[in-house]
Amino acid sequence: MPGSTDVGGRASGAHLVRKKRLFFPFFLPAVTLYVVFLVVPTLATVALGFTSWAGAGDTPEFTGFANYVELLSSDAFRYSFLNTLLYIVAGGVGTFLLAFLFTMVLRDMRGGKLIRAILFFPNIVAPVALGMFFSIVLIYRPNRQGLANHLLESVGLDAVKFLQAENVTWVVTGCLIWASSGFYITILMAAVDRIPPYLYEDADIAGATPWQKFRHVTLPLTWDVIGVAGVLWTIGAVKIFELVFVLAGPGTYSPPIRAWTLGVYVFDRSFGTQGTPEYGMACAAAVVMILLVSVLVVLLRRLMRRDTIQF
Amino acid sequence: MATVTFDGATRYYAGSPVPAVDGLDLAVADGEFLVLVGPSGCGKSTTLRMLAGLEGVDDGAIRIGERDVTDLPPKDRDIAMVFQNYALYPHMTVADNIGFHLKIAKMPKAERAARVREAAALLDLEPYLDRKPAKLSGGQRQRVAMGRAIVRRPQVFCMDEPLSNLDAKLRVQTRAQIASLQRRLGVTTIYVTHDQVEAMTMGDRVAVLKDGVLQQCDTPIGLFGRPANLFVAGFIGSPAMNLIPTRASGESADVGGTPIPLSPAARAALTSENIVVGIRPEGWRTLPAGDGVTATIEAVEELGSDQYLYCSADTPHLTPDGTAPQPIAVRAPGMSPWRRGDKLGLAPQPGAVHLFDAETGARLPD
Amino acid sequence: MSTVDSRVSVAPRKPPRKPKPAPGSRGLSPLRVLGMAFVWLFTAVNLLVLYWLVSAAFKTPIEIFTKPFALPAHWFERGDPFRNFAYAWDNAGFGRAFLVTVVLVAVSSVVIVLVSAPAAYALTRLGARGADGMTNFVAIGMGVPFQTVVIPLFIGMAEVNLTNDLFGMFLVYVALSLPFTVFLLTGFFKSLPDELEEAAALDGASPLRTFRTIMLPLARGGLVTALILNAIGLWNETLLAIVFLNENANFTLARALFAFNSAASYQSEYGGLIAGVAIVVLPMLVLYLLLARRIITGLTLGAGK
Repeated sequence: MPGSTDVGGRASGAHLVRKKRLFFPFFLPAVTLYVVFLVVPTLATVALGFTSWAGAGDTPEFTGFANYVELLSSDAFRYSFLNTLLYIVAGGVGTFLLAFLFTMVLRDMRGGKLIRAILFFPNIVAPVALGMFFSIVLIYRPNRQGLANHLLESVGLDAVKFLQAENVTWVVTGCLIWASSGFYITILMAAVDRIPPYLYEDADIAGATPWQKFRHVTLPLTWDVIGVAGVLWTIGAVKIFELVFVLAGPGTYSPPIRAWTLGVYVFDRSFGTQGTPEYGMACAAAVVMILLVSVLVVLLRRLMRRDTIQF
Repeated sequence: MATVTFDGATRYYAGSPVPAVDGLDLAVADGEFLVLVGPSGCGKSTTLRMLAGLEGVDDGAIRIGERDVTDLPPKDRDIAMVFQNYALYPHMTVADNIGFHLKIAKMPKAERAARVREAAALLDLEPYLDRKPAKLSGGQRQRVAMGRAIVRRPQVFCMDEPLSNLDAKLRVQTRAQIASLQRRLGVTTIYVTHDQVEAMTMGDRVAVLKDGVLQQCDTPIGLFGRPANLFVAGFIGSPAMNLIPTRASGESADVGGTPIPLSPAARAALTSENIVVGIRPEGWRTLPAGDGVTATIEAVEELGSDQYLYCSADTPHLTPDGTAPQPIAVRAPGMSPWRRGDKLGLAPQPGAVHLFDAETGARLPD
Repeated sequence: MSTVDSRVSVAPRKPPRKPKPAPGSRGLSPLRVLGMAFVWLFTAVNLLVLYWLVSAAFKTPIEIFTKPFALPAHWFERGDPFRNFAYAWDNAGFGRAFLVTVVLVAVSSVVIVLVSAPAAYALTRLGARGADGMTNFVAIGMGVPFQTVVIPLFIGMAEVNLTNDLFGMFLVYVALSLPFTVFLLTGFFKSLPDELEEAAALDGASPLRTFRTIMLPLARGGLVTALILNAIGLWNETLLAIVFLNENANFTLARALFAFNSAASYQSEYGGLIAGVAIVVLPMLVLYLLLARRIITGLTLGAGK
């Protein structure tokens, strides 16, 4: 600006130059670590996905899209992919429906803060611990049932083999919803708390029902946050691993392929395998994970796009 | 159209032993524009919110027309509310905002659109119907909020400081628009404000509240000319009425050596000899120094049309107990030649004296 | 007509114990009652589950499975109430793992913040060209599943003999926690006022000094939050520990728990297993009870804006 030639302006101009000199020493350590440990390995994974490679001791051999073609015909991969999609979609729908229900009820309920805090806690518990915990709660063993079957039998229902391969994916989905809901309730409630109360008062005067208030006030005014929460959910659900591994499997080695997710697939084909590892295939599956996240996030952003709201 | 009656309406807030509104009795006539005014925390907004059904009524009753609405939810009261912050839905267009209540009431689309257009025409909002509130000026937003109230065709308008977010110039303009719109529609209106100028210029009658208690409800002229107690006297009018505490002795009270005569009725009503003499700035006559109360001008406020002189009384004991009152405000014609430091004499104009019992604060009969 | 109302102190009336709610909200709709019942039930189940976990950690397997709601009895009667914890601590290696985890998590979290804070400051307050783009570049890292980096990372670390090595684990933890931490801290630095920085500049303080003496203390809340959130995240981290650590002596708690799982089920050592779960969970619970507000706002901050 030609107008600002006062002393302060010039002083801060010189200061700005000195500040800019600080940029690289400040930024470089972090970005170096980031590039070396995250960016380069990601690119390497993409490259290795095009190779046939058994792992350490073997030499990667370029095979083009052969891995991906093989993935398509692999039962294990098909289960992994569909299960992962199921966790993202069914788990997501369940978690968000639950979170919406809670926002409707919690908005003007006493003790709401306490409830939120209680529900949030599972989010800072290690998934592996949650998994073990659930594996004991859900155990099926006539006469010495886990907590869940104990309750079922005590009300006269039949015990269920929760952890059997054909059930376990839905059981894990339930556990996932239970454990994550607190996080999304908190995010959505924080957004709801920012909505000015007089909008709800006006809706009261209009005679809106709780559903109408949700539909016409809460939902449109938290839309942005819901979009971000959806992205966070997708990112989190794509890499689901420990919960499945512990709940569906015998412990140290992989569960039956019917229960696999992409995360389990990558682990099983590389570090967790009983037979010969296939690092090339694992890398290809990892690339699928990235693609899945990217596609879903872009899709979600497009679906949720809308003008920003100012109160 | 309908009357509105508060019958001993009382409201407590959790955690406070003192009621926010205390046994309010108030009758508003059909089509009347009633202003509730008072300092912040006086209970005026609570009163309005009780009428709207946004607050519960702990004691007493509220009636709209013949209907007791005390326990009715807001939507069944047939009222419309204009909020201080307008409460416009940021994600809806102007048209959707105005029509929102009709939509919730399940009015058919065509009829709704017609009603919205009609309200928009009344408020000059037609060009903006497709805009979002964020793209409107403050005045336009205010009109949208009005439109949303009008479109319901309610029996009562509740307005909660609807002008406080506008700048001074727009406020004066909008003030007149709202008043004339209300007269045209003839809808009973309860209007809350903390601004006594708004209250005096807009209301058919003005109710003054303090600490949850109704102090006086009267026409603007009645309120100004015959304030019922010390609080109203000090609250209405700007600059405020000069309130001079003094003592009644015999048939008069003494203000800086000038005797103010007391009627027999006034004397009979006095609970002690302590009396407060109230004289508005325009109630003084200015005399040459030496006559009346001699005073020195401390500050001159030139408004062009008027001039306000803030004077200190030279009489060491303006009041018998020697307490020096605040500077005396005196109105003089605009462009008068007064300067700071000038001395002058002050005498109350006949008929411009208000007398109050210093103990109870109540106005003494003439 | 003027109503003078000078109620000269009528006998003080008793305020109602609870002010009446607004008329609309009083009529509880069935939907609302149902919703509230569900919310309370859900919350109660959460508390029940927590009770079950803590009480089971003091029970024998038989008690766990046959009397899930009873208070623990057997080990108390035997005068050895902490038998399960002792088993996990000594026989399953949780004692050593606890120590390893505490040190690894503490050192890593501190270093993460030390590296991230200057980077976040550089990205937000130094007026660098393209800072927004670079912030996004780093933030994208949050969306990358660890599975996609872990294979080349393992091979690379093995090349330099840093697998099955706590220093190698530390490096991986620091690097992979950077995207989240930098992103979190840019939010904090962005929210600081410009005036103080400008005032310091006018006083002749060098930018480095301004950062150290003015901006860091101002961002302290954010730094502490970042520290806590990283500590929580690393305390619970399992996948990388499984891949990079394969010797008992190096195990972290989550890793030890993972290894203990199958062994415990074979031996029906459910008491010890739940004690192991409790050893992983209870420190988080304590931390949560102390810092719930900070943890919740920190973790949900990114989504709000």
